[in-house]
Amino acid sequence: MTDLGLYALRLGLLICALGIGAGIFAGLAHREDWTRVTERAVILVFAATSLAMLALFWALGTNDFSLEYVAAHSARTMPLHYRLGALWGGQAGSLLLWGWMLTAYAAVAIAGNRTQNRKLMPWVCVAMLSNVAFFLYLVNFETPPFAEVPHTNRLSDGNGLNPLLQHPVMMIHPVMLYTGFTGFALPFSFAFAALVTGELGTTWFRTTRRWTLFAWSVLSVGIMLGGRWAYEVLGWGGYWAWDPVENASLMPWIAGTAYIHSVMIQEKRDMLKTWNLVLIGLTYGLCLFGTFLTRSGVVQSVHAFANSDSFGRLFLFYVSIMLVAFIAALLFRLPNLRSGNKLESILSREASFIINNWIFMAILFVVFVGTMFPVFTEALGGVRRILGPPYFNTFAGILALLLLVLTGVGPLIAWRKASVASLRRQFVVPATVGAATAIGVIVLFGFSPGYWAISAWGLGAFVLTTIGQEYTRAISARTQRRGESVGTALATLLRRNQRRYGGYIVHAGVVILLLGISGAAFNTEKLENIRPGDSTTISDFRLHYLTADPIPAQHYGGAKARLALYRRGDRDGHSGTPLAVMTPEKRFYWLEQQPNSIPAIYSSWREDLYVILTQLEPDGSGTFKIYHNPLVNWGWSGGVIFVIGCLIVLWPHPTGEAGSETSA
Amino acid sequence: MSKGVQIAIGAAAIAALLGWWGSTQMEAGLSFQYFQELDQFQANAGDMVGRSARVHGYVANSSIERDVEGKRVLFSVQNDPPHGGGPVGQTLAVVYESLETPDLFQDGAEVVVEGQLVLNRGARVFVADNVLAKCPSKFEAQAGPAEKSSIEL
Repeated sequence: MTDLGLYALRLGLLICALGIGAGIFAGLAHREDWTRVTERAVILVFAATSLAMLALFWALGTNDFSLEYVAAHSARTMPLHYRLGALWGGQAGSLLLWGWMLTAYAAVAIAGNRTQNRKLMPWVCVAMLSNVAFFLYLVNFETPPFAEVPHTNRLSDGNGLNPLLQHPVMMIHPVMLYTGFTGFALPFSFAFAALVTGELGTTWFRTTRRWTLFAWSVLSVGIMLGGRWAYEVLGWGGYWAWDPVENASLMPWIAGTAYIHSVMIQEKRDMLKTWNLVLIGLTYGLCLFGTFLTRSGVVQSVHAFANSDSFGRLFLFYVSIMLVAFIAALLFRLPNLRSGNKLESILSREASFIINNWIFMAILFVVFVGTMFPVFTEALGGVRRILGPPYFNTFAGILALLLLVLTGVGPLIAWRKASVASLRRQFVVPATVGAATAIGVIVLFGFSPGYWAISAWGLGAFVLTTIGQEYTRAISARTQRRGESVGTALATLLRRNQRRYGGYIVHAGVVILLLGISGAAFNTEKLENIRPGDSTTISDFRLHYLTADPIPAQHYGGAKARLALYRRGDRDGHSGTPLAVMTPEKRFYWLEQQPNSIPAIYSSWREDLYVILTQLEPDGSGTFKIYHNPLVNWGWSGGVIFVIGCLIVLWPHPTGEAGSETSA
Repeated sequence: MSKGVQIAIGAAAIAALLGWWGSTQMEAGLSFQYFQELDQFQANAGDMVGRSARVHGYVANSSIERDVEGKRVLFSVQNDPPHGGGPVGQTLAVVYESLETPDLFQDGAEVVVEGQLVLNRGARVFVADNVLAKCPSKFEAQAGPAEKSSIEL
């Protein structure tokens, strides 16, 4: 079975190369028959990589420790789902997954374009196959997943997966990130094909819109799940640290978000043609760059330091080729990319979208500079300097607030030129509600939450009110004019105009997510050494340390502390029923020889209490790190609302013509 | 002047304002840190006193002392992994004013200490306000260069 995988990868690379040749010929000579050939090549490569994926799954599932990859990332004691999940737990496997996903997207594109976009298709195939070829080259010659351990070194068991990765979220988080990253290859390839063929209308992005939105949604969820995993596993009480690995996934998301907004301007107003092409090139380039960053060891990160020079150089080479080819095609077509319209007023939807794009670019710049700062400073002055979270929070924070303003303004302001009357009609109520909310926060808490949290609440209320207003107006229009019930009106609205009204829900999710983040202004933490029987307090909670018990031995051992959690108001704490018994664990994974702290989290809609057993001291006391994090659940809830919004936008449209009435 | 140019000028003005405002925020104690290997750091130790720094090294064998009463951990770091068999070299004493040590913090662990160097009666002590630890390198010996037991994205 593993031999099968090995040969499938070899064959896949060969067909890939032939397919690229056939595609270039078909494109240059306008030969439909050769276009079909290159399309069949894509399908064959997809089949070959699928076979390789199955073979690696099989090896992991059947504990074939004769493979280096399996021996390094799996172990007999691990449950089956983690053994299979080890496919993306290491370099070789995750590169294979990348390649496979690219071929899957390419196959999808071919299936959807059997009778349309025939002129674009050879170049789409060439672009997709070129990307696939790089990953297939890597898994064939650089980091082969099917490499065997020499006979003399074979063991009957493997090293096991890093315990930090043995978490349910880690089964899906990397897959979602890759699904997002590779998904942007599709609009990128269509954009490239559009540039080569000169078919520069709206076709290239309209055709790929659903898959782009799909990739973008999945990437968003993947990033949020990464935060969730960090929160539940890494045990430092937070979900986002501006670590290079996190930034690597955030940067393509920022560019991609700018892209999905700005293509709407091209669609409606025939503007920003060049800019949209630049944006999709940038987005996909950043997907590749992020992958390069986390795998090359260029930037030191707390949790990624796979170091391999030749690999880094190869990757950089590949990213450069992709971008140079794209930029060259773009420069070649630049004279044909004139806008059909000019900006008429700053008070217009076009302008608000353009400003939105600039703010996204500014955030991207902030994150990029912060991430690469150690590399730049080392190149310039010798000593690596690091910009910490305060830098990111300060700059990205203020820009996010500006973006929040536009989230409210953009979808409501008129196209071309807004009149004073229309501005008043749209924004008087939301602005009042927003201001009142900000004042309310100040009355309740004073200025202690800081400018960011106060503004976030004010602006969040503003945006949510604009959204509420849009829904109310649209629903009441339907109920009055057509006599529909509120429920029917809402359903029709979401079905008929899914992009607009689904988009609003996505916005609402983002606002609520940001409100959850604003809770961090009230975070408190303490480190406390307590003996069994004693208590400690934080915020209005009291934690009573009961005992520490050994964990029943399995593939890990260790200790579990038990702490009863009470509201501080309960005077008779001991006799009263506790809110919860919290059991933070200190595990030790035998095989991996690695300790791991598992936090205990008490979570309500208002706040989280997060306890880590830092150490059981020799004198019998326990050292605990305790965090009180308000509003964390708002963040996750915002994420769920976000997903619902994305589903509405992406839901297959009954008439097959998605969001025809839309304007947002 | 076209609307596009007007917006561009406005945006540039706002960006300049934001940059200025942000830099004042950064000066108020939020500035960057220097990141160095231990031997590099030792070499410029004179310049580094009192500056926010991040230093990379390895925990020297049996140097960890947990002072539970004093709520601090004392240890020393050296430039090369202790189980590598190389010379120990000049070690740096670290005082970490917390009991909150990371899971992977142990003898030989690869660490990054954040804090600053102080002179205590002529002796150099690194007062750390944060300690980050990575997997001990004995895992890495078993696999190829790119196949460590690390988290890869």
